[in-house]
Amino acid sequence: MSIIKTENLTYTYPSGTKPSIRDVSIKIEKGEFVLITGPSGCGKTTLCRCFNGLIPHFYQGELKGEITVAGLRISEQPIYEMAKNVGLVFQNPENQLFALSVEKDVAFGLENLGVPREEMRKRVDWALNLTGIYDIRERAPHELSGGQQQRVAIASVLAMQPEIIVLDEPTSFLDPLGAKKIFEVIYDLNRKLRITVVLVEHRLDLTARYANHIIVMDDGKIALDGDPRKILGSEEARLIGVGIPKPTRLYQILQKDRVSLSNTIPLSSDEMAAMLREALKNQ
Amino acid sequence: MSVFDGLKFRRVYSPIHNLDPRIKFIYVCAIFVAAIIFWELLPLIILFLIQVPFVILAGVQRQWLRSMRGAAFLATIIFSTNFIFSFIGAGYVDPAYYLEYASAMTLRFIVLIESFSVFFLTTSPDHLGLALEQTRIPYEFCFAFTTAVRFVPVLAEEAQTIMDAQKARGLELERGNFLKRIRNYIPILIPLIVSAIRRSLELAEAMESRAWGATENRTNLYVLKMHRGDFVLIAVTILILAVAIYIRLFFGIPSLNELLGSFS
Repeated sequence: MSIIKTENLTYTYPSGTKPSIRDVSIKIEKGEFVLITGPSGCGKTTLCRCFNGLIPHFYQGELKGEITVAGLRISEQPIYEMAKNVGLVFQNPENQLFALSVEKDVAFGLENLGVPREEMRKRVDWALNLTGIYDIRERAPHELSGGQQQRVAIASVLAMQPEIIVLDEPTSFLDPLGAKKIFEVIYDLNRKLRITVVLVEHRLDLTARYANHIIVMDDGKIALDGDPRKILGSEEARLIGVGIPKPTRLYQILQKDRVSLSNTIPLSSDEMAAMLREALKNQ
Repeated sequence: MSVFDGLKFRRVYSPIHNLDPRIKFIYVCAIFVAAIIFWELLPLIILFLIQVPFVILAGVQRQWLRSMRGAAFLATIIFSTNFIFSFIGAGYVDPAYYLEYASAMTLRFIVLIESFSVFFLTTSPDHLGLALEQTRIPYEFCFAFTTAVRFVPVLAEEAQTIMDAQKARGLELERGNFLKRIRNYIPILIPLIVSAIRRSLELAEAMESRAWGATENRTNLYVLKMHRGDFVLIAVTILILAVAIYIRLFFGIPSLNELLGSFS
C-alpha cells in the first residue's frame, strides 16, 4: 500500500490557461526518501501543494484525477486533517514563522490541534532536540540565521508527528553549509524515525546520496521515475536539464572514454573516490 | 538601520518584566484613577515618585527618560494654557496659586504618561499577546497582534532594502518641499505593499499547513500564572487606591504655597 498515490492528476490554477501539472501518476512507498527535481516552473511546487490539500482547498482551481495520501482522499478532507499526516515546509523560512519565540512557533500546530499542555511540552522539546535548536528556543525569529529559521520550520511540522514530510526547496535561501546541515537533519528523520520524506531540490550534488527514489518532472509531466543511480546516470536526465551530481557526470565521461570502472553509478564524491582508488589499484 | 532599531522587541528579565501583564494593567488603571481624583500638587508629586522604584527595578531608566522627554512638549503646552487662562480668568491676582494649579495639571498628565510608559516598556509583546489570549479575546485578534509585531523588523529591513535599491537608481528622498518629499516615498511604498501582500499569502499557506482552525478549543503552550510578585503588586495597587480615596474623602489637602507659607 503506497503512502502517496496519484492517478492521472491534472491541475489548473484559477488564473492559469493551461494545466500546471498533467497526467501525474506516481506512487511513493512508506519510509522512502523521494527526491523530486526538474527545471524551474515544471510543476514541482504545484505537486507539493496537492500532497496536503492546499490544492484544491486553498487554491481552488480545477483538479482532475485521483490522489490519496496516507490513506485519505485529499478532495474529501479539510487541510487541517491532512496537516496531521503531512508536514509541509516551504521555501522561504521567514514567511512560515509567526510567533515571537522559536518555542511558541514549534507549538503553533499543536495549539491549533488542541493538544493538552503537558503532551505539547513533551513534543515541542522532542522536536527541538531532534533538529538541534533546543538552545535557541527562547530567541525571536528575526534574531536567527536563515538555516536556523528553516530548522525551526522543520521542527514545527515535526512536532505534529506527521507520517510524511514534504519539503519544497527548503534550502534555496541558505548558504551551502546551512543547506548541508538541513539535509543531514532531514536524512536523520528519514532513517531514524522512518518518516517518509519528499524533497524538492535542485542541488542534487548534496542530496542525491540520500534518496532512494527520484522523480524528474518536465513541463508539468513526470519525465522519469525510479532508482536514483539509473536515472541520474541516464542521458535523458541530462538533456532535461537536471543538475547531475558531479561525481555521476564524471563517471559518465570516464565510461565514454572506456575507462573500466565498476558498474554501480556513484552519487557522491566519496563513492567516486572509492571507485577511482579501486580502479587505480587494479592497474 | 538606526531608525528602525527602536521597533525591535527584546526579551528582558527583571522583577517587573516578569509580572503578569494583566495585573500590571490594573495597576496602571489604578494610578490613572488616583491621578484623576486629585487636582492638588502634593499628592500628584507623591504619585509621580511612587513609580520611580518601578522604573529602577525594571532597569528601563534610559527608555523611560526618553519617553518623558517626548512628553515634554505637550506638558509645556498644558502648563502654559492652564496658567495663562486661569490667571487671566481670575483677574491677575495670586500668581503663586495659579502657578501651582497649572503645575498640578501638568504633573497629572505626566503621571499618566509615566504609568503607561512603564507598562509598555516592561511588557514584552508575546507576554501581552498571551494576556490577550487568556482574557478570552478571540484568538484571531491575538494572532493578528503578535504576527504584526513579529513582522515589524522584517518589513523594516525590507523597507531599508527597497530604499537603498531606489536610491541606487537615482531616487532622491530628501529633496524638494514638504509635499514633494512625501511624494518621493511612493516608489518605496508600492513595492513594500506588494511584497507584504505576497508575504501574507505565503503566511496563510503556512498557517493552513499547520492545522489552523482545526479545533475551537485551542490550547496554549504557556499559561500565565500568578507569582508572589503579582500578589505584592495587587496589594500595592489596592493600597494606593484605598489611601487615595480615603485622603480625597476625609482630608483637606494643603497646597504647597500654604505649607511653605507656614514655615516662614
